[in-house]
Amino acid sequence: MNGLTKTFGKVRAVDDLSFTVEPGQVTGFLGPNGAGKTTTLRMALGLITPDTGTTTFNGVGYPGLPEPMRQVGAVLETAFHPARSGRDHLRVYCRATGLPVGRADEVLGLVGLGTAGRRRAGGYSLGMRQRLGLATALLGDPAVLVLDEPANGLDPEGIQWLRGFLRHLAHDQGRTVLVSSHLLSEVEQTADRVVIVGAGKLVRQGTLAELRSGSAGSVLVRSPQTTALADLLRADGTTVAPTDATSDGLTVTGLSTDEIGRRAFAGGIELHELRSRTSGLEEVYFRLTAGSEQYAAVPAEQGAV
Amino acid sequence: MGTVVARLVRAEWTKLFTTRVWIGLLIGACVLSGAFAALFTAFAGNPDSGLPPLDSPAYGQLAFSLATNATVISVVLGIIGITQEYRHRTATPTFLATPQRGRVVIAKLLAYALVAIPYAVIVCAVTVAVVLVYGNARGGAPELSGNNLEVLAFAGLALVIYTVIGVGLGALLKNQVGAIVAALIYLFVVEPLLRSIPATSGAYKWLPGGALEAMTATFEGPDLLEQWQGALLLLGYGLAAALLGTLLAVRRDVA
Repeated sequence: MNGLTKTFGKVRAVDDLSFTVEPGQVTGFLGPNGAGKTTTLRMALGLITPDTGTTTFNGVGYPGLPEPMRQVGAVLETAFHPARSGRDHLRVYCRATGLPVGRADEVLGLVGLGTAGRRRAGGYSLGMRQRLGLATALLGDPAVLVLDEPANGLDPEGIQWLRGFLRHLAHDQGRTVLVSSHLLSEVEQTADRVVIVGAGKLVRQGTLAELRSGSAGSVLVRSPQTTALADLLRADGTTVAPTDATSDGLTVTGLSTDEIGRRAFAGGIELHELRSRTSGLEEVYFRLTAGSEQYAAVPAEQGAV
Repeated sequence: MGTVVARLVRAEWTKLFTTRVWIGLLIGACVLSGAFAALFTAFAGNPDSGLPPLDSPAYGQLAFSLATNATVISVVLGIIGITQEYRHRTATPTFLATPQRGRVVIAKLLAYALVAIPYAVIVCAVTVAVVLVYGNARGGAPELSGNNLEVLAFAGLALVIYTVIGVGLGALLKNQVGAIVAALIYLFVVEPLLRSIPATSGAYKWLPGGALEAMTATFEGPDLLEQWQGALLLLGYGLAAALLGTLLAVRRDVA
């Protein structure tokens, strides 16, 4: 995706967004509700025309793909006619794509809907609808899968199944999987990489490990010589604060435990405790996207660069 | 592209025949045209009704043209064919499977025009059956030949063209209920009014209803076009609706 921008009325829903998704990995596309995730995915798939920017799959834009369903499978919403059975729904798209109609039964089996396929889709539970959506995406056996909030409405068992299924599709079968979510916890156990957006802009991207380490975790130090230690560490501008008023602890931000230990030893200061307090990924995500929630999106004329 | 469109036409037929809309509308169309045929046959020759007598040529043409009462069902069939994609949000997977949206609309137009042919044949058959059976029971049904047969053929053609107009209208308006209500108001309120008001009755012959009447009616009508002109004009409306609908469907965002 390269420089995608879309404005609805005065709201710039997606603002100059660029990122790349690699095969063999699950990439999480994270952001609060209204951050522009769905709009971005719809632009990538040719359903919404971007104001600027392009998206390509192996160098080709979605509408230019000769057999799009055989190359890119997408689940954007649970969309089907309630009076049509899940199996018939799939057969429609088999016909439209030129696949044998027997493929419908195969994908129903893949997503665990085998027996429910002949029932009217209107009677499906939310979890079954998500599975039917996934089955539709898998019809053409595509190398790329794009899923918009696929875990919505799934029960814990279903979420567990989905995580395993997506990892299997990416790691064992080498597919490219891009899965959006507003909840970090949903992708934390599935995704290898994450792309985080807020208010339509790219906030951060990288592997989960990079995200954790880049969070400038804090370190807790306890010493009988608190004042001397604080002065020593503050010498180069490091942030040091008392952990609380009564204890002899200090919270140090921006230095590793190794570095603090080395400086304390060099300064002849006695340490009683030296412990890393890496802030949780959830905290990082919250901090990165704070202030970029749906209604915090800036009007276009102010947000324009 | 030809094979792609053929694939899409089959996909449209799968969509149509995997819900019960088609049979409901077919029954509705048969009941509607059959009921009008029975009603007109019952009052044919009755001086209070103003209808021509059973054995007159005018009655024969009038009776077989009653199949056109089902044109309203044809429009609804076409409208549902396209608006259900927006109503049930299946436009998303449909346009994902075929990003060239123009092809989807073309396939729908073809699929529904072709489906409308057996529809029209069945509706015409029901109309003919009612007129012949009931007419004979009342002592003298019109013959199914000459002018009468021509009127019947044009009535069938009108049923097909109205289905195409429905698809185009659906693509234009997207909203299923809105499109159906608009079509009903137009067919049952706007056109009859324009037809009856002297100031606008001159323009009526250029409207779809006027074209339809030119194709089939020979019975105390207003100023109308020739039969073949009416057919061409109606076909023009069908193609115009289809073209506009295609252009809009291609440009609009699917959110």
